[in-house]
Amino acid sequence: MTNVLDTQGVSKKFSGIMAVHDLSISVDAGESVGLIGPNGAGKTTFFNCVLGVLRVNAGVVRLAGDDVTEMPVHARARRGIGRTFQRIELFAESTVREHLLIAERTRRRDGGLWKDLIGRGRPRADEIAKCDEVLELLGLRDVADEPIEHLSLGQGRLVEVGRALMTDPKLLLLDEPTSGLDRQETADLAITLRAVQEHRQFAILLVEHDVEFVSSFTQRSYVLDFGQLIASGPTQDVLRDPQVRAAYLGVEEISS
Amino acid sequence: MTLAATLGSDLLRALLQGTPPGTVYALIALGFVLTYKTSGVFNLAFGAQASISAAMYYKAHTDWRWPILPALIVSVFVLAPGVGLLLERLVFRHLRTASSVAKIVVTLGLSIAVPSIFELVFQFQGVAGRTPEGIVPNGAGVYYDPFGVYPFSRNELMTMAVAVTAMLGLAALFKFSALGLQMRAVVESPRMTELNGIRADRVSALSWALSSSFAGMAGVLIAPRFNTLAAPDFFNLVVVAIAAAVLGKLVSLPRALVGGFCLGWIIALLGTFLPRWSRTQTWLRPFQENLTPSVPFLVLFGVLVFWPAIRRAREASDPLSGVDPPPSSVGSGARGASRPRFSRVIGLALLVGIGVIVFIRADTSWIFLVTQAVVMSTIYLSVTVITGLAGQISLCQGTFAAIGGFTVFQLADRHGVSVLLAAVIGAVIAAAVGAVLSLPVLRLGGVWTAVATLAFAYLFDSVLVKISWICGGGTSLLQGTRVPRPVVGPWDFADDRSFLVLTVIVFIVVAFAVTQIRSGTVGRTLSAISGSEVAAESIGISPARARVTAFAVSAFIAGLGGALLSIHQRNVNYGSNFSPFAALFWLVLVVSLGARTVQGAAQAGAAFSLFDTLILRGTFMGWILRSSKRIPEIFPINPKWRFVFFGLGTIQFARHPEGLVEHGKRQMRRRVDALRKRRTGSGGSIDDASPVSTPQPSSEPSNETDTAVVPVGETTR
Amino acid sequence: MTELLRFANVSAGYGPFRALFDVSFDIQPGEAVALLGANGVGKTTIARVATGLLAPSSGTVTFGGTDLTGAAAHRFARAGVAHAPEGRSVFATLSVEENLRLSFRRSKGRAGVDAAVGQAFELFPALGQRHRQIAGTLSGGQQRMLAMARVIVEEPRLLVADELSLGLAPIIVDEVYRNLDRLRQHGCALLIVEQHVGHAVALCDRAVVLDRGRTTWIGPADQASERLVRNLFQTESPMENSPTE
Repeated sequence: MTNVLDTQGVSKKFSGIMAVHDLSISVDAGESVGLIGPNGAGKTTFFNCVLGVLRVNAGVVRLAGDDVTEMPVHARARRGIGRTFQRIELFAESTVREHLLIAERTRRRDGGLWKDLIGRGRPRADEIAKCDEVLELLGLRDVADEPIEHLSLGQGRLVEVGRALMTDPKLLLLDEPTSGLDRQETADLAITLRAVQEHRQFAILLVEHDVEFVSSFTQRSYVLDFGQLIASGPTQDVLRDPQVRAAYLGVEEISS
Repeated sequence: MTLAATLGSDLLRALLQGTPPGTVYALIALGFVLTYKTSGVFNLAFGAQASISAAMYYKAHTDWRWPILPALIVSVFVLAPGVGLLLERLVFRHLRTASSVAKIVVTLGLSIAVPSIFELVFQFQGVAGRTPEGIVPNGAGVYYDPFGVYPFSRNELMTMAVAVTAMLGLAALFKFSALGLQMRAVVESPRMTELNGIRADRVSALSWALSSSFAGMAGVLIAPRFNTLAAPDFFNLVVVAIAAAVLGKLVSLPRALVGGFCLGWIIALLGTFLPRWSRTQTWLRPFQENLTPSVPFLVLFGVLVFWPAIRRAREASDPLSGVDPPPSSVGSGARGASRPRFSRVIGLALLVGIGVIVFIRADTSWIFLVTQAVVMSTIYLSVTVITGLAGQISLCQGTFAAIGGFTVFQLADRHGVSVLLAAVIGAVIAAAVGAVLSLPVLRLGGVWTAVATLAFAYLFDSVLVKISWICGGGTSLLQGTRVPRPVVGPWDFADDRSFLVLTVIVFIVVAFAVTQIRSGTVGRTLSAISGSEVAAESIGISPARARVTAFAVSAFIAGLGGALLSIHQRNVNYGSNFSPFAALFWLVLVVSLGARTVQGAAQAGAAFSLFDTLILRGTFMGWILRSSKRIPEIFPINPKWRFVFFGLGTIQFARHPEGLVEHGKRQMRRRVDALRKRRTGSGGSIDDASPVSTPQPSSEPSNETDTAVVPVGETTR
Repeated sequence: MTELLRFANVSAGYGPFRALFDVSFDIQPGEAVALLGANGVGKTTIARVATGLLAPSSGTVTFGGTDLTGAAAHRFARAGVAHAPEGRSVFATLSVEENLRLSFRRSKGRAGVDAAVGQAFELFPALGQRHRQIAGTLSGGQQRMLAMARVIVEEPRLLVADELSLGLAPIIVDEVYRNLDRLRQHGCALLIVEQHVGHAVALCDRAVVLDRGRTTWIGPADQASERLVRNLFQTESPMENSPTE
């Protein structure tokens, strides 16, 4: 079977400095994979290379077997990469449901100027039903008509997830989904995400600093340090690796 | 041999001739870059600042008969820095965290308001035909010819001397003084300067004063060349300055300086050699006269389109910029606050009532004004689309409208095509031009879209308008582009009343289309993009495609409106209707009143053609008092006040992008809500029938402290 | 009231994004305190609040007994707080000497500038050799030295050092920490933000461990790394030989 995501030898340089060096990872359909490492390890850079925000200097990014290395962000999104943002990115002054509706309409690709002009641009009943299904799944039904300005950060994060889900992603990239959330919100998010993933069957690639979240959420993890892969394998094992702990603490050995 | 010698002396002459204007361009480019770098404001009001100093000098020296030196001191060293300090203190300091697009809109408003304020305060009439004097006696009459090829006038020599002195002074200030060092530090990073214990805002204010003096100096020096003191002519200066500044990538003062000189030389070289080449190359002939003045716009447009790296010039500069909260977005949020049905019906009834009264009772001049208001409202809907929906600032809406107007003229007057068909064709052509233009322009984004469209508007203004087969040749600037009124079957729209009906129908159709687009896929896509572009991309939206659509639709509406305006006035009247500076006022007006709604566009249209007659002349007051004799003494108010009023109205745009009217309404509604909450249960609500009041996005600053989440595009309001 | 710097129930954030919740700690005069925690827990935010770059949304910040809550950064600087921010911390377009002059002109007055510049070049001869070089063309280590030179000569009462070791070669990091130690000898208090704990723990008296914008532990620096490990990897039984809670 083919991997959902497959990168080979991805490298990215910033003014001479290798931010990501020769990184090859793969994510299978439906699995959850962690991408961890200390500050400045290149996780976000690599994320952006996968998403198409950054162009790689070398290497290949494949989505479900297709080479997407040269594709822009929105084209990759249409091929099945959804994402959430570390610093939450929602559409100003729109309601929760409107976020999902525009994502659904974009996925269907059957809207346009002429349809708008003849009055067929408004949300259709089946679209609304589909959005409400996802809202239900995420527990956002009660706030569906609220402008996002009225939500908590945790709910905002779920709106991002919901918006991404409307595109029927094969792979969801979560960029530090717990940042800014407190313990309780983090725990709730983990429960909701797991439930949704079970229901919708998509793969997750997770960048996260909260090791607890990563270890409870992912089966496998890749660990980066200085732009290079220093460990990979089952998350529990990786986290027990002294080399990984040393990377996090920036010292040679920490077992005192 | 002789040929080479002539060529050499011609070249030398061109270079000498280009040097005096080059120094002025350099001067103004320096000032522009200084402001841009120390405060991040892309100051399009720079030309306005130059113009008031020039006007002040004229007023003091020519009208009041002051000697040269005191007049110069007052205009360049008192007025100019004072205005700079005031602008910084009263306006831009408070807009520090606003988006760059919001700031550019404010500077546009100031471009219109500042000269008008000056003219009102000093009772100055900035019309063409007044010949300003230079800063030396008999400056235009005495010549010196040091090289035997080009005689410099005394004005030109003085210009060069003063400008070079100013530049050397600036260089010395930067190199050797503590203040200069601080300015350079602020240029790089205001925050890091603060960390050194230096008050960055004070340094920034001083550099505003300094750059404003540069503007004033340039204004006084260049005025004798312009042969006019009208503010629009000085607005060109800022475009020239930007052109020079982008040659230096906008970041480097020395390169801006070189850019200024280069522009001066290029213009002079073209002026020298182009006539010669066009003797053999006949295709050049139509361009010959027009190309030279358009060089800065051509350069600017070319640089922006072919060198997109320029837009990243500033973004990466301040290493500590992460501290600022993200700026609020400009457009989007077109989610019409649900208005109570009851009051909507009342409003509509009132409007229809007024319409009927106007239709039956009004005399020719009122019919004319009302028709104009309706047509302008139609044009303004194009701003609603591009700015209100797509969040882009386009400064070439006047050009799109002119394309519509000229197409009708060409097709109807010259080729006998049916007028209404010609209007639609004009709109289609405008849409095509808009779409093609948007391809390179929208890659730029933000401020650069505004600048590139402005450059395009000036390019059209200085080259294309004068080409006979496009726009009707040189005469089209004022008159001579006759446009007939349409005759459709039994209806002859030469009659003003029936034409009014036609324009109202067109407006309603276009307004309906705009609301359809807004609530449809295109509108919601655009709203998503201006809400958060990265998030929109992440769900598969292609921003480029959506913006091409927005540009094309907007240009179509502008073209249609422009065609109607020309039909209404029976002439294109390019100069007074569609010139780039005239069209600036459109944007300022719409943005002031509300760029997001159809109502905003309608109000802007009404304000454009009726504000003066109705309010400022006291007519409305007279109606209320039921006698035109009882109109208070303060009427008639000088019509320039509307430039001041609406120009300054843009300042609030940075904080309330929904516009004055919508903002006022929200405030009102919030107050009504609060009142109702206080007396809960009391029945007789006056105007509200909706069971659940729509929650209003709170815009109080205290918002930051509660846990509500606001999207990144929309924080400090 | 003997504390030099005091955070009392400080919350702060960027727009809607809240990075600090109710943080309280203090620094005594001459004391070195390390801020530890994973990326994104709010260390840099504390550094920015402590130097006036960011105003807290609630709580108070006092320095030397004066309430500076919400004051502009230049007032913190004038009160004696120096900040070595994360990443580039010199003016890249100014020369080495101009970088120093800019700062000394304010702190030492017109008369003291030359002497102060001389002193800086004496301490860091490498900088003296390059005094006309544009700072942006210096290597990362040299830039850090320039920032240090400025701070050492100015003798602030508190230095807030944000990720000083990030992106530097180990040998330079050692040098940086030697200079920090020198500052301490002169009585300057230190607030050190580090993700890599080794050096910081060796230098500091106390440590503040952060998690999700909250302080989870304040105590002697030498116990900090163990706390941190537990914080980071708390899901399983932490280290084989770490004490049970």
